[in-house]
Amino acid sequence: MDLKEYFSLVFNDYTLRTITLGTAILGAVTGMLGSFAVLRKQSLLGDAISHAALPGIAIAFLITGTKDTNILLLGALVSGLIGTFWIRGIVKKTHLKSDTALGLILSLFFGFGMLLLTFIQKQPNANQAGLDKYLFGQAATLVESDVWLMAIVTGLCVLVLLLFWKEFKILLFDADYTKTLGFNTKTIDILITSFIVLAIVLGLQTVGVVLMSAMLLAPAAAARQWTNSLAKMVFLAAIFGAFSGVFGTAISASQNNLSTGPVIVLVAAVFVVFSFIFSPSRGLLFKQIRFIKNRRDLELNKTLAFMHQIAETHEDISHPHTIKILNNFQGYTKGTLKKLVDKGFVQLQGNMWSLTKLGYTTAANLYNQQTDSNE
Amino acid sequence: MNSAQIEIQLIASLVAVACAIPGTFLVLRKMAMISDAISHSILPGIVVGFFITHDLNSPLLIVLAALTGIITVVLVEYIQKTGLVKEDTAIGLVFPALFSIGVIMIAKNANDVHLDVDAVLLGELAFAPFDRLIIAGTDVGPKALWIIGMILIITLTLLIAFFKELKVSTFDKGLATSLGFSPAIIHYGLMSVSSVTTVGAFDAVGAILVVALMIAPAAAAYLLTKNLKKMLVLSVVFGIFSAVFGYWVAHWLDASIAGSITTVLGLLFLAVYLFAPNKGIIAVLYREKQQQAEVSLITFLLHLKNHSEVEERHVNHLREHINWQKVRAKKVLDLAQKNNMIHIENDVVSLTEKGETFTSKAIDYIITNEDAQIEDMKDDFFLFRG
Repeated sequence: MDLKEYFSLVFNDYTLRTITLGTAILGAVTGMLGSFAVLRKQSLLGDAISHAALPGIAIAFLITGTKDTNILLLGALVSGLIGTFWIRGIVKKTHLKSDTALGLILSLFFGFGMLLLTFIQKQPNANQAGLDKYLFGQAATLVESDVWLMAIVTGLCVLVLLLFWKEFKILLFDADYTKTLGFNTKTIDILITSFIVLAIVLGLQTVGVVLMSAMLLAPAAAARQWTNSLAKMVFLAAIFGAFSGVFGTAISASQNNLSTGPVIVLVAAVFVVFSFIFSPSRGLLFKQIRFIKNRRDLELNKTLAFMHQIAETHEDISHPHTIKILNNFQGYTKGTLKKLVDKGFVQLQGNMWSLTKLGYTTAANLYNQQTDSNE
Repeated sequence: MNSAQIEIQLIASLVAVACAIPGTFLVLRKMAMISDAISHSILPGIVVGFFITHDLNSPLLIVLAALTGIITVVLVEYIQKTGLVKEDTAIGLVFPALFSIGVIMIAKNANDVHLDVDAVLLGELAFAPFDRLIIAGTDVGPKALWIIGMILIITLTLLIAFFKELKVSTFDKGLATSLGFSPAIIHYGLMSVSSVTTVGAFDAVGAILVVALMIAPAAAAYLLTKNLKKMLVLSVVFGIFSAVFGYWVAHWLDASIAGSITTVLGLLFLAVYLFAPNKGIIAVLYREKQQQAEVSLITFLLHLKNHSEVEERHVNHLREHINWQKVRAKKVLDLAQKNNMIHIENDVVSLTEKGETFTSKAIDYIITNEDAQIEDMKDDFFLFRG
């Protein structure tokens, strides 16, 4: 199946449509909430939470004995929340730093989850097969009810974001100020963190424990490069996330043996790399171009200033000088001279140059910022 | 105990020691999450090495995987330097991408590769004794034991040789630079050791357990001591204890050894987290409560000193004036009375002589903020012991 075939199938084939919709919605919701995680410098929280969710899945299965997705996800949610609040407890009450707390909870919960999973595997219960799909996720197991659940959670999340937009925004940028204004920062904080946990738990089935954190971060990190406005960033991150989901599903469906989760993550990574390089204001490419342009301008100005120094010693400012005397000067090249001529600052007569009136005044005011020679 | 069991415990203990040493420094340098990133991103290195050698135990695999680990660190630092995103975001972006590449490489070549992502992530310690190292026809023990033993010896040599440098650069980068040690060399040295340890340990115990063994013993030790040497020793002890104990739990439950060692580590950390003498949660909460009571007491005494009028000092009035609840007001009143700071006559509270001097001293301290003022008060009061 190639890509073209895939896109014609998306609208007809039930499985493919479900998976595509599911990954798109998932990408959108994780992108939105990921923006907050990235801006709050809690990027790795997602990684810790997704790992911490594993024992919850195992315990939920041990208690109920069923593989009903909703019950397992409920277990994951509970254990993810416990992990999150333990992390906060460690950071707040001890001198251990947040990175240690994250790494601790991540590895300890995950190890405990693995213990339970291997324990379950040894149980004489035929129902247990397939629990380990939560490790790496299997988008193919998505059914319509899962997509509905995702859609409902996404809707709820959008609603809460709209309702508490002002609170979230102010807490994000100035937590102390928020407190002095009388907002209950703890509640807002718990609200946003809980939604992040919820989004992560939803994604476990699709991309799995290990790669979930990238779903949260990558769209947000990409979106951050294009805008300085929170609203635009959240919106862009949702779009990037949704597109990563769709493209990832398309690519993995068009090839054999390609699990969806890693492909989605790689597509999201491509978005990030593209944004890092090509974003107009922050991107590396344009930064480099601006850097080169500034250096050229500086060289041009240096040459002009040097000419001005020479011209100053003569009564007649447009007294011609040989080009040779410029040769020992650093900023001088044929190119800069030609540019100066083009700008009308300098006149050339054979081997001689002279400053024009315009060039002289520009050079004299070069450091006063009164000219617009930088344009 | 048969010989395989002893060998498993020996391998697990050696891995625990080899992880605890770099782990201690990672925790102190606030780079704990780097170990998580390395443990995931070595996957493509292992896969490429496996494609070349078709042998999971080849030394080339370790070299390539360690190289990928270092590439991860360099990439994270490069992204961070561009200033486009923060460090934690950089970590969170790099390792899932590298891990995905590894998973996809395995998936695309699944037919001719006996390499399982689960095995990389989780390892299987139980099989380690069956992979023997045979030199000149004689069996000299499990391969994993030799690999991790070598890594441990290298780590220990480096630790002893560069202990001073490591210590200085961990606690004071500026001082280290001015003394002529390059923090960059030590940084990359530590990163290389961490990478090599992760790689050497992963196929015995899996990537996640490596992270747990690096961070958890060090974090628990950090809650118990502030001395670097003691911290190293403690984390090694914690590591070995959970390795051995974890093995027997796994034996009893018939479950994954790596998972059960991690669980034991988790319980150990939980116990330390709750009960550590000074830094544990219970100690911290108790201290906070104590301090709260003392602050209330001082507020109360200051109030008494400021008001000589009888109605201001009436027990019932105090309750509404300082806005305390009944229980709390009574507690503070009792505390003050027990310390002979006040006496109560007809429900009117007044300061005793001791209370007078104490309060004046407290005021002096609050105004001047000089420690000398409170030297002799420190015995009575927790709060001032800083």
